[in-house]
Amino acid sequence: MTRSLGIAGAGLIGRMIALAMQRAGHTVTLFDRDSRAGHDSCSWVGAGMLTPLAELEKAEPIITELGLASLKAWPLWLAGLPEPVYFQSSGSLVVAHQQDHRELEAFRAQVTRKNTTAAQLHRLDRRALAELEPELAPRFNGACFLEPEGQLEPRMLLPALAAALDAAEVVWHEKVAVTAVAPGCIQTAQAGYHFDQVVDCRGLGARAQWPHLRGVRGEVVRLYAPEVQIGRPIRLMHPRYPIYISPRPNQQVVIGATQIESDARGPVTVRSALELLSAAFSLHPGFAEAEILETAAQCRPALPDNLPALQVGAGLLRVNGLYRHGYLIAPAVTAACVAVLSGEPQPYPTLLQSDDAP
Amino acid sequence: MWHEPECRNLSRLLIGTALYPSPDIMRQAIEASRADVLTVSLRRQNPADGGGEQFWDYIKDLGKRILPNTAGCKSVKEAVTTAQMARELFDTNWIKLEVIGDDYNLQPDPIGLLEATEELIRQDFEVFPYTTDDLVLCTRLAEAGCRTVMPWASPIGSGQGLLNPFNLTMIRARLPEVSLIVDAGIGRPSDAVRALEMGYDGVLINSAVALAQDPVAMARAFAGAVESGRLAYEAGVMPKRDFASPSTPTLGTPFWHGANS
Repeated sequence: MTRSLGIAGAGLIGRMIALAMQRAGHTVTLFDRDSRAGHDSCSWVGAGMLTPLAELEKAEPIITELGLASLKAWPLWLAGLPEPVYFQSSGSLVVAHQQDHRELEAFRAQVTRKNTTAAQLHRLDRRALAELEPELAPRFNGACFLEPEGQLEPRMLLPALAAALDAAEVVWHEKVAVTAVAPGCIQTAQAGYHFDQVVDCRGLGARAQWPHLRGVRGEVVRLYAPEVQIGRPIRLMHPRYPIYISPRPNQQVVIGATQIESDARGPVTVRSALELLSAAFSLHPGFAEAEILETAAQCRPALPDNLPALQVGAGLLRVNGLYRHGYLIAPAVTAACVAVLSGEPQPYPTLLQSDDAP
Repeated sequence: MWHEPECRNLSRLLIGTALYPSPDIMRQAIEASRADVLTVSLRRQNPADGGGEQFWDYIKDLGKRILPNTAGCKSVKEAVTTAQMARELFDTNWIKLEVIGDDYNLQPDPIGLLEATEELIRQDFEVFPYTTDDLVLCTRLAEAGCRTVMPWASPIGSGQGLLNPFNLTMIRARLPEVSLIVDAGIGRPSDAVRALEMGYDGVLINSAVALAQDPVAMARAFAGAVESGRLAYEAGVMPKRDFASPSTPTLGTPFWHGANS
C-alpha cells in the first residue's frame, strides 16, 4: 500500500530514510532549513570514519554491533547511487608514540574487554606495520590493526544521495525551516503539511522534544597533503590529544576531531587547531608542507548515554542522538527506522525508547 | 572546608566531571563514588557564546555541590575572568583555582597562583588553590586566606600516585588548621587510602575513575578507599618498629632478646 511520508531534516539519516522509503513505493516529502548541498549539517563536517571496533574505547557494545552491520550494508547502498562515492574497508590502525605506549596498551585492553563480536584486533610489530603503511613505520614501533574497519567520503555521499532522491522524484522543500513536528503533520513558517506518517530527524533542531539532548562540539581540519602516503584511517592515542587522520581521494586528509561539551558553533579555535595540527605533524613529517584547505566546526546531537534512540508513536517517529557515530551506524539505524515505518520486525529493539528518560 | 558546620558531613572524596565515556556513565560513577562535591571546568566550552549549558544543566540536576575550576587557564587574568564567569553560572563563590605554569606537565605557576588567589579573595571568593607540594607556597596560600589548600600528589592525569610523601606529611604537620585535599595524580584507590591515613582531609580525583575500564566500579572502589583511609587516620595507626613483636608472646623466649638482635 502506498502511503505518504513526511521527513523533517535532510541530513544523513533523513536522506537515507527518504531514499529507502521512496524506493519501497511510498511517497516521500523532505523538509530542511538547509539547501540540498547540506553544508550546514553535522553530516557535512563528519569525517566518515567506519571504525566499529575502535569506538569501543568509549562507546557501548551496541555501537559495534550497529557499526559492523552498517559496514556490510554500505557497499549495497553505494551501489544503488547514481554517482561514485569513495569507500574502503581495508582496516584501520591505532598507534601511539613511544612515550605514550601505555595509552595503546590501555586501548587494546579496553577494546578486548568490551568486544562481544567475532571481530579481531591484531597487534603489529614494526615490520608488519611497514608492510601495511610503510610511511608510519619509521616513527612507530608497532600498532593495533583493526581489520573490519574503513571509511567513506561524506562530501561525495551527501550529493550522491541528493542525486538519487531527485532521480526517485522525492519532493524536497529546501531552505524551509520546520517550526513543529506532530503526528501526521509537519509545520513550516508558511504552511502545515499532512502525511500518513512523519519522521523527525532534525538532530539538535528537535531539542524541544528531547529535553536531555545536547551538542558535542567537534572540530576538523582538511588538508591537501601530497607528501603523505597513507591509505588507511589512523588513530593516534595520546593522553591529551587523541586524534585520527582519515585519508581521502586526491591526496586530501581530514584530521579530527575535538570533543567539547558545548553547543557553540563558532569557528575552530586556535587551541584546537594547534592540537589537531601538532598531533598530525607528530604522526608524519610530511604534514609540514601540507596545505590547509578548510577548518570546520559542528555540534553533534547526543543523548546522555551517547547512544542513538528511536521514539515511536502513532504517525510519528523521532530519531536522534547519533552523536559522533553518524556514518558508522547510519545504514543500521535507517534499517531500524524503516522497520518501524513498514511495521516489520525490529532488528535493533534496544534502540526503541518510550520517552526521553535521563 | 570540613571545619565549616555545613560541610562537616561531606564525603572526603571530591570528583571531577571530565573524560567519562558518556554523561550517563558519569552520573552512575558519581553516584557510586558517594561524593558530595563535583568539580566542573568551563574554560573550553565557550561560555561567552552560551556553549556548554546543556552539559552543566545535566551536572546541576545531579543535586551535588559544585566546585567550578579554572582548568586550562595560564594567566592570572584568564583565571580571574573564568572564576567570575563560574560564579555567575553556578551561583557559588567556591572556585578551584588552577593557574598552569608548564604546558607539558601542567604544573601550577606558583607566582601566578598566589597573585590570583589574593585577587579572588578580595572579590569574596572561597578559593581552593591547586598547588605543588611546596610547604612555603602552601603556607603563603593559607596566609592569604585560603581555608582549603590542594597540593598535588603528582602531575594531573598522570596516575603516578603520591610521589613525595615526605613533603605531603610535612605540609600536613605544619598546617594543622587548614583543610588539605590531595588534588591530582591519584591513580588507584590505595593512593587515596594513603593520603587519608596521612591525615589529609580529602582527595580529589577524576581521571582515576573516568579512564578506568569500568568507571562505575572504580568509583565504588574509591568510595571504600576514602572511608577506609579516614577511619584508619581517626583510629590512629600503630607505630612502625624495627623488630618483630608477635601479638601472642612466645612462651619461654626471654623478652630482652629482641633488643639485642
